[in-house]
Amino acid sequence: MTSMKILVVDDSITIRRIITNALKTVGFPDTVEATNGKDALEKLTNANVDFIITDWNMPEMNGLDFIKQVRANPVYSSLPILMITTRGTEHDVIEALQAKVNSYIVKPFTPQELKEKIEVILKTVQVNTV
Amino acid sequence: MNQQEVDGILKKAAELKVFCEYGQRTVPVLDEIASFVREISPAIEDLKAVVEVSMVNIPKAASQLGRVTQATEQASTDILNTLDRMVATLDEVIGSVATGMVSSDLGAATKKMATIVKTLVDKSGWDEDIVKLAEAWDLHLRSLRMSGPTSNLERLLKDLQNDCTEIMMALQVQDITQQHIGAVMGTIEAVAEGLRKLTTGFFGTNTEENISPLPTIPVQSDMENVGEADRKKMVESLLSKARAGQL
Repeated sequence: MTSMKILVVDDSITIRRIITNALKTVGFPDTVEATNGKDALEKLTNANVDFIITDWNMPEMNGLDFIKQVRANPVYSSLPILMITTRGTEHDVIEALQAKVNSYIVKPFTPQELKEKIEVILKTVQVNTV
Repeated sequence: MNQQEVDGILKKAAELKVFCEYGQRTVPVLDEIASFVREISPAIEDLKAVVEVSMVNIPKAASQLGRVTQATEQASTDILNTLDRMVATLDEVIGSVATGMVSSDLGAATKKMATIVKTLVDKSGWDEDIVKLAEAWDLHLRSLRMSGPTSNLERLLKDLQNDCTEIMMALQVQDITQQHIGAVMGTIEAVAEGLRKLTTGFFGTNTEENISPLPTIPVQSDMENVGEADRKKMVESLLSKARAGQL
C-alpha cells in the first residue's frame, strides 16, 4: 500500500470505478476523481495530487488539452501522467507523447499492467530528479 | 443595293447556314437528352423518396444507438455495484476465516475451549502439565487455522475475489463499445448532413451558390482494426523510442 494520491480523469463513471478499484487492488487506494479536463484542473488546485491518470476523449476539455495545460503550469509541470484511452493509432500515441505524457495504455488494461506502468513512471521520474 | 449591303446579306446567309447545319447535328443529341431525362425522371423521384425516408430514419438510428450506450452504461453500473457488495462481503468472510473464527459450531466450540484452557492455566498457578496442555492446545489451534478446510476456504474465497476483479475489468468493454458507437454516430450524422444538403440542393430549389460543400465522412483508421496485442506492441515501441529521445 502507498499513500500516493492519484487523480483519475475520465468522463465514464464505469471506467473511473474500474480504474480506482484496480488501483486499490494493486496498492494505490488513495484516489480523487474528475469527469473531464476542466474538472481535473479544479481538482488539482484543491487536492494534493501526486500522479495523474487521464482519458483522452472527454467533453468540455479533452485529455490532451488537459495534459498541455498541466505541463504549461510550473506548479504541476513535473507531475507524472499516464494516459488510458481507446485511441490506439500510432499518430495518437505520438501526439500524446509530444504533449509530454509519461506513459500510455490502450484499453482494455489489466490491474497488473496498470501497476507496472505506474512503477516504471515512478522509477523514471525518480531517476530524472536525482 | 450596293456591294457592301450584298456582302452583308451573304455573310448573314453563311452564318444562318452554319447555324442550320449545327442545329441539324444538335437536334438529335437534344432529343436523346430529353429522352434520357424522361427515363431517369421516375428514378430521380424514387431516389428523392428514398432520401426523404432516410432523412427520417438516420436520426432515429443514431438515437437508438445513443439509447444502447445509455442502457449498457446503466447495466455496467449495476454490475459494478453488485461486484462492490460481493467484494466487501468476501473481505469480511476472508477476515473471519483468517482469524479462524468461522461462524460454525466448530468455531464456537474452539473459542470456548480456548477460554477454558486459559482459565485452567491461570487457576493452576502455571502447573507444568497444565501449561503443556495450553501449549498443545495453542499448537492445535494454529494447525487448525493453517491447514484443513479453513485455509482451503480462504484460498477459494480469494479466488472468488480475483474473479470479481476480472469481471470488473471486463466491463471496460462498455466504454470501448461506447467510443466506437460514438464514432459510428459521427459517421451517420455526417451522412445525414450530406443527404440534407442533397435534398436542399439537387432536389430543391437552391442555386448552386447556396449549396455548401458536403461534409467529410470520418474515415476509420487502419490501425483501429489491428489486434490488441499488436497495438500494445506498437505503443511499447513508441514509448521506448520516446524514452530514448528518438521521437
